[in-house]
Amino acid sequence: MELTDADLIARVLVDEDQHAFSELVRRHQSSVRGLLRQLTRTDFALADDLAQEAFLRAYKHIRSFRGEARFSTWLYRIAYNVFREDARRRKELVGIDEDVLQAEQDPQTVDAGLRHDLMHALNLLPLHERTAVLLCCQNGLSHDEAARVLDIPLGTVKTNVLRGREKLKKTLAAWGNN
Amino acid sequence: MDEANDIDLLDRQFREAAPYIDDDGFTRRVLHQLPARRPRLQLFRATILLGVTLLASIVAYFLSGGGQFISDGIMRMAGMSPIMILAIAAIVGVFVMAAGMVAAISRNRELRS
Repeated sequence: MELTDADLIARVLVDEDQHAFSELVRRHQSSVRGLLRQLTRTDFALADDLAQEAFLRAYKHIRSFRGEARFSTWLYRIAYNVFREDARRRKELVGIDEDVLQAEQDPQTVDAGLRHDLMHALNLLPLHERTAVLLCCQNGLSHDEAARVLDIPLGTVKTNVLRGREKLKKTLAAWGNN
Repeated sequence: MDEANDIDLLDRQFREAAPYIDDDGFTRRVLHQLPARRPRLQLFRATILLGVTLLASIVAYFLSGGGQFISDGIMRMAGMSPIMILAIAAIVGVFVMAAGMVAAISRNRELRS
């Protein structure tokens, strides 16, 4: 019988069982790395470094996981914080340079070969909308869970998801892919 | 209704567009960077196990009337035929070997994963 996340976490807590933690990493690495790859605009090497840091931080602070949310939600929150700290360090917080962002958002500036790519369309969204859409649409989090991950009010998450979806639909429609 | 369908379609497209990322050594890299287990905890566990074993032995010794059952057992075995003793030793040996093999296989799986 396969152990649940809660069983594995209990083993890590009681016994510092690194084998149990490695099973947790194996289960969640794809979604965490996928999220970070999108947040870093497909910089795979950076995303993997951040994912590694996120899992290490999760291991060190696993006692602060109270089980109120799903383990994956807790991991996303850590991953998002790691990403934000790194972005702050690099002074590359997407969304600061609105001119660049607007230029990127113009569907006509996009390479024709990439027009049918939903993920590419997603990368054109500003960070706050991209993150909200990613968490809710791709990773299946509820608005409430996404609000916890992003540490912002529930209403803001709903607005960001709505706006992000609208922009995506427009972009895809402009590319003839809706 | 159309809007709800649009949302469902977009969500479905998203999930389909997100490929599963192969581990490709990622878990191993994370594992190598984890801090070493605290020796204090291991010592604590060993002390508890040893203490409980000693305590249980002492309790069993007094409850059994000073270990009378051991000398009784030895006396009974001394009265058995050599073939019977050999058979018992062989059966116990097989059980111990099987338990050892199960433990070794499970440890090997752990190390491989």
